[in-house]
Amino acid sequence: MLILHAAEQGLIYGLMALGVYLSFRVLSFPDLSVDGTFPLGAAVAGILILQGTNPFLAALAGGGVGLLAGAFTGLLATRLRIPGLLAGVLTMIMLYSLNIRIMGRPNLSLLGRPSALVQLSQALGVPRAYENFVAAGIFCLAAFLLIFLFLHTELGGALRAVGQNPQLVRSLGMNPDNLLILGLALSNGLVGFSGALAAQYSGFADVGMGVGTIIAGLASVIVGEILLRPRSLFFAVFAAIFGSCVYRLAISLALRYGAALGFTASDLRLLTALVVLGALAAPTIRAALKGETS
Amino acid sequence: MILEVLNVTKTFPLGAERVVALQDVTLFLAPQDFATVIGSNGAGKTTLLNVIAGACRPDRGRVKLAGRDVTHWPAHRRSFLIGRVFQDPLQGTAAHMTVAENLALAVKKGPRSLSFLLTARRRRFLAETVGALEMGLEKRLSERVAYLSGGERQALTVLMAIVTRPKLLLLDEHTAALDPANAEKVLAITERLVAEHGITTLMVTHRMDQALSVGNRLVMMHKGRIVLDLEGEEKRKLRVEDLVGLFRKIGVADDALLLGSGGNGAMAEEAKKLAHLL
Repeated sequence: MLILHAAEQGLIYGLMALGVYLSFRVLSFPDLSVDGTFPLGAAVAGILILQGTNPFLAALAGGGVGLLAGAFTGLLATRLRIPGLLAGVLTMIMLYSLNIRIMGRPNLSLLGRPSALVQLSQALGVPRAYENFVAAGIFCLAAFLLIFLFLHTELGGALRAVGQNPQLVRSLGMNPDNLLILGLALSNGLVGFSGALAAQYSGFADVGMGVGTIIAGLASVIVGEILLRPRSLFFAVFAAIFGSCVYRLAISLALRYGAALGFTASDLRLLTALVVLGALAAPTIRAALKGETS
Repeated sequence: MILEVLNVTKTFPLGAERVVALQDVTLFLAPQDFATVIGSNGAGKTTLLNVIAGACRPDRGRVKLAGRDVTHWPAHRRSFLIGRVFQDPLQGTAAHMTVAENLALAVKKGPRSLSFLLTARRRRFLAETVGALEMGLEKRLSERVAYLSGGERQALTVLMAIVTRPKLLLLDEHTAALDPANAEKVLAITERLVAEHGITTLMVTHRMDQALSVGNRLVMMHKGRIVLDLEGEEKRKLRVEDLVGLFRKIGVADDALLLGSGGNGAMAEEAKKLAHLL
C-alpha cells in the first residue's frame, strides 16, 4: 500500500518534475514560479470541477493557466530584464493572492467530486485499487513521450541550445528571449496540469499546497540523475519521473518510520533541501578535494 | 558592396567620462573581399565587429549589408546575413548536443518548426557536410560536442557559421585560443571554405603574420580609427617589419601592446628582434 501510494504520488508529481526538468536543466533557468503555478492549476481545476466541468477539461485548464503564468515569468525575465530568480518569485507571490481570488477562499474540498484519474481508469476497466496508479501512469507516459519527441524537433533542439548557449541561438537567427518564454510556458503548463491532477487525487485544492514545489521538483530531477546517470536524452527525461517516484517513496518511508528516529513531518523540507544542497554542492566539493581551486 | 560601415562612432561610459571605441569609422567590403583587421588592444576591432553584427548600436553612423540598411536590426535578425566565430570555441556550439544536432541546427536561420531535427536523410547530408572538414567528424556525428578537442570544436563552429552561405563572415580572433598546430589547421579550413563558397570575410587577428598571409586586404586600427587599409599588390608586398614600423610611427611603442596581451610570447620575441633590425 505504501509503495502503491508513493508510486501514484510520484507519477502525479512526476509531471511537475518534468516541468522543473525543462526549466532547470533544459533552459538552465531556476524557475521559482512553480510554487505558484502548481496550486494555480489545482485552484482552477478545483473551481471548474465544483461548477460541474468535465474533470479532464478542468485538468487541461489547469495546465493552460500554468502555461500563461510561465509565459508571464518569461516576459518578466526577458522583456523587462528582471533577474530570473526574482521573476519567478514575483510570479509566485502574485499567484498566491490570485489563487485565493480564483477559489474565493484559501481551499476547496473536492471530496466526492469526479476525478479525471478515476474516470480514465474506469473507462479502461482497471481494478479499483489501481485506478489512480494506472491513470497517473498513462498521463505521465503521455507527457514523457510528448516532451521526449518535442526535444528532438527543430524547435525543441533550439530550446535545448538556448539553455546551453543563447549566443549560438541568436547567431542562428532566432530570438533567445522568445524561446525562453516558450520553454517556461511549457514547463509551467506541465506543473499546472500536475497541480490540477494532484487536487483531484487528494480531494482538495489549497493555496498552501505549492509551498516547496520547486525544492521537491529539483530533488526529483537530481535524485533521478544520481540514480540513473542518464547518458541519453531518453533517460534524462525519464530520470525526472523516476526521481519523483523515488522521492515520494522516501517521503512516505520518512513519514512512517521517521518518528522512531525522532523526525517529525515538519522536518521534511529541511531534509529535502539538504539532499538538493548536497547534490548541487557535490561537484564543487569533489573539485576541492582533488585540490582544484575555482 | 557587401558591407558598408558609414561614419560609425561608438563610445562607452567609463565612470563619468566616455571612452571612444570607434571614431568616425568608414569601411567598405566588396564581394569576396577577405580583410584582416589588426591593431593593439583597445583599437576598436571587436567593437567594430559588434557594431556590424548588431551586438551593440553605434552612437552615430550606419551599417549596410548587401545594400540593406541594418543599423536598427537586432542581432538575431542580422544573423540571417552574417556568420560569426568567436575566440572561445565554447561560444559557437551547444556543448551537450551532438555534432549532428549542432550542425542540423545551423543549416537554417530563423524560426524553427516541429519537424524532427535529425532524419535519416538529413544525417547523410550532415555527414557529407562535416566531411568537408577532413577531421573524421563524420564518424563522430552522435558524439557530444563537449567531447571534441578545441580545434575540432572550432572547425565545426566555422562550418556552422558558413553552412548557410552568409553574405558576410566575421572572425573574431577565432584561432587565438587554440594551440599552434590546431590554430593552423582551423585557419587553413577557414581559408578553404571561404574560398570555396566565395564568402566576404572580416577577420580580426592579433598575429601580424596571419594578418599579412591571409586574405586580400589588410586593415589596421588604432584608437578607434582605421589608420591603414591596403589591398592586393600593396598588401602582398607588406612585411612584418613594415607593420612593426607602422605601429611605431603611429606611436604604439610598447612591444607588448603592439602584439596585444593575447599574442603569444614567441611572437613578441620575434617582433622585438625585428624592431631591432629596423
